[in-house]
Amino acid sequence: MTASILVVEDSPEDVEAIERAISRSHPRLGLEFLGSGAEVLPRLTAPGAELPSIMLLDLNMPGEGGLAVIRRVRADATLNSIRIVVFTSSEDQAEADACYAAGADSYLYKPVNFALFQTVLRQTVDYWGNVARIVVPPPGDSSAQT
Amino acid sequence: MTTEDSGWAGTIHRLWASVAAIGSREELSDLVLPPLLETPGAVGVWGLRHTTGAAITVYRSAGLPLAGEAQPIALALAAGETKHDWLEDHGVRHVVVTRFDGTGDVGGTMMVLLDETGDPRLAAARLGQVADVTREAIRRLAAHRAEQAQQTRDALLAEASLQMDAVLDRAQTMRRVARMAVPAIAEGCLVYLRDDAGLELRSAVHIDMRRLDALLADERIAARLTGLATDAVGGRPGMRAVPGAGIVDVQVLRARGRTSGVLIFMFDRDRGDVPPAPFLRDLALRAALALDNGELYEQRRREVVTMQQHLLPRRLPSADGLEFAASYTVGDRVMEVGGDFYDVVVRADGVVAALIGDVCGRGVDAAALTGMSRHTLGALLHEGLSPARALRRLNESLRREGSWRFLTAGIALLRPDAGGFAVQWMSCGHPAPLILRHGAPAEAGRGGGTPIGVLPQLRIGRSRIRLGAGDALVMYTDGLTESRDAQGLMFEDAALPQVLERLRDVPPETLVRELSAAAAGFGTSGADDIAVLAIGVSP
Repeated sequence: MTASILVVEDSPEDVEAIERAISRSHPRLGLEFLGSGAEVLPRLTAPGAELPSIMLLDLNMPGEGGLAVIRRVRADATLNSIRIVVFTSSEDQAEADACYAAGADSYLYKPVNFALFQTVLRQTVDYWGNVARIVVPPPGDSSAQT
Repeated sequence: MTTEDSGWAGTIHRLWASVAAIGSREELSDLVLPPLLETPGAVGVWGLRHTTGAAITVYRSAGLPLAGEAQPIALALAAGETKHDWLEDHGVRHVVVTRFDGTGDVGGTMMVLLDETGDPRLAAARLGQVADVTREAIRRLAAHRAEQAQQTRDALLAEASLQMDAVLDRAQTMRRVARMAVPAIAEGCLVYLRDDAGLELRSAVHIDMRRLDALLADERIAARLTGLATDAVGGRPGMRAVPGAGIVDVQVLRARGRTSGVLIFMFDRDRGDVPPAPFLRDLALRAALALDNGELYEQRRREVVTMQQHLLPRRLPSADGLEFAASYTVGDRVMEVGGDFYDVVVRADGVVAALIGDVCGRGVDAAALTGMSRHTLGALLHEGLSPARALRRLNESLRREGSWRFLTAGIALLRPDAGGFAVQWMSCGHPAPLILRHGAPAEAGRGGGTPIGVLPQLRIGRSRIRLGAGDALVMYTDGLTESRDAQGLMFEDAALPQVLERLRDVPPETLVRELSAAAAGFGTSGADDIAVLAIGVSP
C-alpha cells in the first residue's frame, strides 16, 4: 500500500490550498482529490483499490455531505484503517459531536491564513501518520533506493 | 586528480548547490544517500533520523534495503557496533558511520556499507563531506522551520484575537481558543473556568478526541490535570510531564487582575516543535481578556435587565370584567436600558387607567425619565386626575426641567358601561391602539397629539372606543410595528394583519406573547424594544 491522503473537497480554492500545503510539508505523500461525497465509497470499494491512510473531509458539500460520508465509510469494516479528519470552518459544537459520534477521528478548524492552514495540515499528517508509518514507503518503494 | 576523484568533486559541488533548494528532510535523504552508493565497494547507504528521545522515526536507504531485521542492526551500528552476522551474510565487510545532531531538532546517523573491495578511508572521507552538506542542509531546514513556526505563531495570535474579539459569549470564546490552538500549536487544549465551586473543565479539544476522552476518563490523569490547573492558579504555571498524557503546559487565564480559569496545552510532538513559553503566555492572556470581556458584558447585561425590570410594574392589578396582559421584549442593544413603559391603575371608584409610553433614546438618562414618567402618570391617575391633566402635568414637569428628551404616551380610561366598557383614549404622539373585536377582524384606533416635553402647550389626540364582551384593546410601542426584516419591510405592513387574524379571539396573555414573538422574530438586527399591553373584556 502506498501512503496517501484522499481529500474530499468541493471548493477549488481549498483544493489548491491543500495541495500546495501538503506538497510542501510532505512532498512524498500521495494526494488524491474527490469533488463530492458521492464519489468516496465507489473509490474506496473499487476492486483492488488502494486505501488512503487519511481522508481529509469537507463537511458542507452539495449532494452527499461530509457527515453522511463518515457514516457510510465507518459502516464498512474493511475501511477501518482510514483516519477520517474533518477539516471545516464551521464551529458548530453539535456538528463536531455528530462527526465524532459517526466515527471521525479529528474535527479541525480550517484557518483562513495560509501559514496556519499549512501548519494545521502538517501537524495533522504528522500526528496521524506518525511519520514513519505513513511518510516512509515500505522497502522497494523508496525513491531513495537505487 | 583521477577521473573518479573528478566525478566525486562534481557530485559534492552539485550537493552543495542543491542545499538551498531542499524543502524537507525527505528531499534531503533523496539527495545525499544515492551519491554515496557510487563509492567504490559500497553496497548500501543507510540513513536514520533520531528524535530527541533517541528513538528512530525514519529509516532511509540506498542500495541494500534498510527494512525488517536490518533496522535493529542499523540501530546497533549507530550505537557503535561494527560487526554483525547479517551484514556478513549480505557481503558487508566494513561499515563507516557518522552521526550529527541538530540543536533543538532531530539528529541523524549516516553509514556506508562496504564489501571486501571497499576502502573504509575513502568511504569515511566521502561520508564526512556528505555529512557536512547534510549538516548545513539541516541547519537551513531548521532555520526555515523556525521562521515558519514564528509566522504560524504570529498568524495564530492575530487570528485568535480577531476571532475571540468577535464574540462576547464566554462559551463560544472558550471553544474558539481551544479549536484555534489544535493542532497548530498543540495536540490538545483544555479550558478550565473558575467559579465559586473552583475550577471546572468547560472545553476540551484534541486532534484525537477518542484519545482525549480515554485520558479524561482515567480518574488518575484527570485528577492530575485538575491538580496542575489548581497549582497554576496558586502560582505554579508552566510545563510539566503527565504520565499517560505526555507534556502539558499550564497557563493561567488572568486579565485585569481577575483570574477566570486555566488553559492546558497538551503536546504529543517533538520538544523542538513545542511553542516557546512567552508565546503560550501571550495566547493565554488574549484568551483571558476575551473571557473577561465576556464576563463584564454578561454582568452589565444582567444589571440592565434588572434595571429594566424595575422600570416596569412587578404585576398588573386585577379589575372586575377585565383581563390584563403585558410583555416587554428587549431589542438588540441590550447593554442599555430601553425607554418603553406601561402600567395599569385601578382607581378607588373602579375606573381603570391603562398607560403606555416610549421615551426617546436609551441609557441611564432615558431610564430615569422612563421611571419618572411612569410613576408620575400612575400616581396622578390613581389620585383621580383626568388623563388629560396627568399628561399635561408631565409635560409641564419636563419643560420646567429643561429636558431635551421627550416621550410619546397613550392612556386608556375604561369605565364599565352596559355590559362592556367605554374607553376614553388619549394619545400624545403615540401609535394608535389596535381594537380586536370578538369574531371580527382587527381594526386600528386613532393616534394623534404631540409628544410630551416638546411644546409648551401639549396637544392631545382624543377618541372614544366601546369594548364589548370578548373584545380587546392592544396598546403597544412602535418597536412592534416598525420591526423590519432583512429587506427593510416593516412588520406592520408585511405581517401584522396576518398575525392578528391568526390571533383572533385568543386570551390577552396569548395575544401579547404571540404578537411580541412574531414581531421580534420578523425583525433583524437593530431592533427596538417592544412593549405590548392588552386589555381584554371578559366574555
